[in-house]
Amino acid sequence: MNNPFREDLVSRSRPAACTVVIFGATGDLTHRKLVPALYNLALDGELPPGVKIIGFARREKSDAEFRAGLEELNCKVSRTGHDDAVWSSIAPNIHYHQSEFTDAEGYARLAATLDAIDRDRGGKGNRLFYIASAPEFFDDILTQLKNAGLNEAKEGYWARVIVEKPFGTDLSTAQHLNRIVNQTFKEKDTYRIDHYLGKETAQNLMVLRFANAIFEPLWNSRYIEQVQITCSENLGMEGGRGGYYDKSGALRDMVQNHLLQLLSLVAMEPPTDLSADGIRDEKVKVIRSMRKWDTADKVAQNVVRAQYTKGSVSGKSVPGYREEDRVDPESMTESYVALRIMIDTWRWSGVPFYIRVGKQLPKKATEISVHFKSPPGVLFNALPTGVPGGNVLAIRIQPDEGISLRMVSKIPGTSLRLEPVKMDFQYSTSFGKPSPEAYERLLLDAIAGDATLFARRDEVEEAWKFIDCIEQAWHQATTAVPMAEYVAGTWGPKEADDLLHEDGNSWRRL
Amino acid sequence: MKMETAGAVSKTHNDMSSDTTTILDNSNSSELDPILGQEVAIGSIDAELRKLWAVDKARTNACLINFAFYSEQKGSLTLNSRIVSELTRDHACRALLIEMDRSASQPSLRAWVTAHCHLSQGKKSVCCEQIAFALTGVSRGRLRNTVFAHLSSDLPLILWWQGELSPIFEERLYSVIDRFVFDSSSWSNPQASFTIIDQAVHGSKRPLVIQDLAWTRTYQYRLALASLFDDPLAQQNLSHISQIEITHHPLHRNSALQLLSWLATQAVWRQGLELQLAVSHNQAQKESYHFEHKTGESIKATLISDEQAAPIAQLSITGGPMSLVVNREPSSAHIYMRLIVGDHITETLAPAGCDDCAMLIGDQLARGGKNSLFLKILPLFQNLLESQLR
Repeated sequence: MNNPFREDLVSRSRPAACTVVIFGATGDLTHRKLVPALYNLALDGELPPGVKIIGFARREKSDAEFRAGLEELNCKVSRTGHDDAVWSSIAPNIHYHQSEFTDAEGYARLAATLDAIDRDRGGKGNRLFYIASAPEFFDDILTQLKNAGLNEAKEGYWARVIVEKPFGTDLSTAQHLNRIVNQTFKEKDTYRIDHYLGKETAQNLMVLRFANAIFEPLWNSRYIEQVQITCSENLGMEGGRGGYYDKSGALRDMVQNHLLQLLSLVAMEPPTDLSADGIRDEKVKVIRSMRKWDTADKVAQNVVRAQYTKGSVSGKSVPGYREEDRVDPESMTESYVALRIMIDTWRWSGVPFYIRVGKQLPKKATEISVHFKSPPGVLFNALPTGVPGGNVLAIRIQPDEGISLRMVSKIPGTSLRLEPVKMDFQYSTSFGKPSPEAYERLLLDAIAGDATLFARRDEVEEAWKFIDCIEQAWHQATTAVPMAEYVAGTWGPKEADDLLHEDGNSWRRL
Repeated sequence: MKMETAGAVSKTHNDMSSDTTTILDNSNSSELDPILGQEVAIGSIDAELRKLWAVDKARTNACLINFAFYSEQKGSLTLNSRIVSELTRDHACRALLIEMDRSASQPSLRAWVTAHCHLSQGKKSVCCEQIAFALTGVSRGRLRNTVFAHLSSDLPLILWWQGELSPIFEERLYSVIDRFVFDSSSWSNPQASFTIIDQAVHGSKRPLVIQDLAWTRTYQYRLALASLFDDPLAQQNLSHISQIEITHHPLHRNSALQLLSWLATQAVWRQGLELQLAVSHNQAQKESYHFEHKTGESIKATLISDEQAAPIAQLSITGGPMSLVVNREPSSAHIYMRLIVGDHITETLAPAGCDDCAMLIGDQLARGGKNSLFLKILPLFQNLLESQLR
């Protein structure tokens, strides 16, 4: 049915009233991200009236205890602070449902609760299931949802599922999970979340490329020399995260999802339209076109893995990776990875895409830089200073979201000397109002049925195919690819620098 | 977006909040206004602006739009400078403040320059330039030729016209504007002014977006109502609506009428024949309008004026088994929404938005858009305004 009063009010898909069921409701993600996101959406008037939230978890808790815990943390972490009046308006709509994830009876009770809510709404209703539990429960939760009939929406309504990362640990586990998900929910109702895509600058990538006439004509191998994507963190394994990380590593934890998603946005062809599938069709083509490093030799030539050793970060001494809490002292898990990726398409033929991601690097930053080729040097190469570097378009994803363009300029004076200068655009400077948190945007999109910023099944599986080749070379090949080392607080191992030097390039200084 | 590193704080003036400063150049303190800054010769405005940035490299000059304020009210420069100081927290702009005294016999023009600075995320000082102009006497073309010669090039020009429209608002002026902002609540003869606006929109050589702050004031109500009508049960009863009541503050009748016009336009109601009769029975505090559904069923709309109320205090709609209320207590930051359809009840809060013109402008700048919906409801709104005259 069409709501005539919606016309021209907001330029986005319309969210509808629904019940959000969060599995793993006592966890950090629910308390720190999901409920504060729903709170801020309510505060901004973005959340449709009548949205109910049901927290599903194993611990015994009353509604009141659950709400009190959420409120306490919302006061601390909500980006807009905490308004009692707003909280009081949404708190009565938050409920707690205690059950084991494997207990069929618990899902039957959940179904009864949802039916009661729907009856109150006039008979039927929309349901959004958010699986924020530990990954080992994904299968059970999906299977039980299906057994309880909760995966089926009533006519004219919808039942959707959001699945948190990690979406599998390799291709076969991802395929298995996809099978379970698709046996339970239709692909169009499945939302594989990647919070990087909810970030303002990531969303701005398409606008930058396709709403500005000056970039797209240059966006190809004729004018671009290389592209770099850096995701550096100045943290190690604090807070017990070593247990999870040591089983995962930088490649699977960051590259398979976040960084390949960013890469696909940078490298994709213009979509035919702005529909979710229109955009995702183009993104998956990029991932499919990435040259596979399918032998140990090729992996050794194009991928560097490393672990940090004892050093100091931000003035603090830190232990080496293998000395970290909950990390195997003989671990072969990488805390750093650098890759050269070649995209075998007409547009990108011969242009290397370099990705590096690591822990205990000097600072926290996620940036994409597009390095343009130097102009013919016939005019200025004879100068004593030469031509200093080429144009670099840098897109800062976090922190200090923004875009800068490096150009070459003449230094004022009577002689002809050239120096690089930078034009800089910062979101915080231009737009005083802070951007919504990624989870706010993504939750609202899922409620509104807009899957553009979520990964599709084929994207996930194609990404795993690429990653699996490297993982196999690292862990199963007879001639294992060596593990390099870097001192904590430096920008990574020498081998990563060499990877670029082979092409006559070097990592951009951040 | 234009940015440059800037400086020159020869003296700072602490503004309303601690992280806000106004840059002043006191090289000639006899001509220094504590709010408007340094008085400068018209021919040296650009040079004086550059001086502001000459020393302190720690400041960043940010500008996304040219934002002109026009007023014929004495003292408006000072008031508007304070508004710019707040507005530039969220909207980087070059501000051009214009105060016009058309009654003066001799034409004159004075100008002051300053910049408003804010700490961005507690670290970087981001500044926006301001040029204030005081004009007297009638001399056609001065706004375009002198004042608007100081725009930051390539950036859009937004003009906020404060108060009644005057003969200054003519083709040579509005043909350089991208967005024209006004508050029809303050107009003594909105019918006549809207006719002029209409001519400007259709006569302008370039697309002119118009923005009535009276319309912006209805935004949260429209959003709230749209949310309630997302509910299928409410939508099912759209064709059964029989009564509408809008309570408003007497100063905000235009907002109430625009809200009603929007409802009728979007729901495709026709103005009923009883309109004139109802209007002839117009009471001091209430006015009634009649509409018809496509089916011919009648809808009675009542506007209730209340001195104690918020600008738009309450909107209630009834029809069939449905009753719906969107309500706001005076000075409350939230609006309360309730939908009842039979046993089904939905209650929720939503942000009320703001009433203050400066904040409304800020909200509007954040939303942007071509405001085509306003143009769509304008004919009916003008009709309803006219009907009160008959």
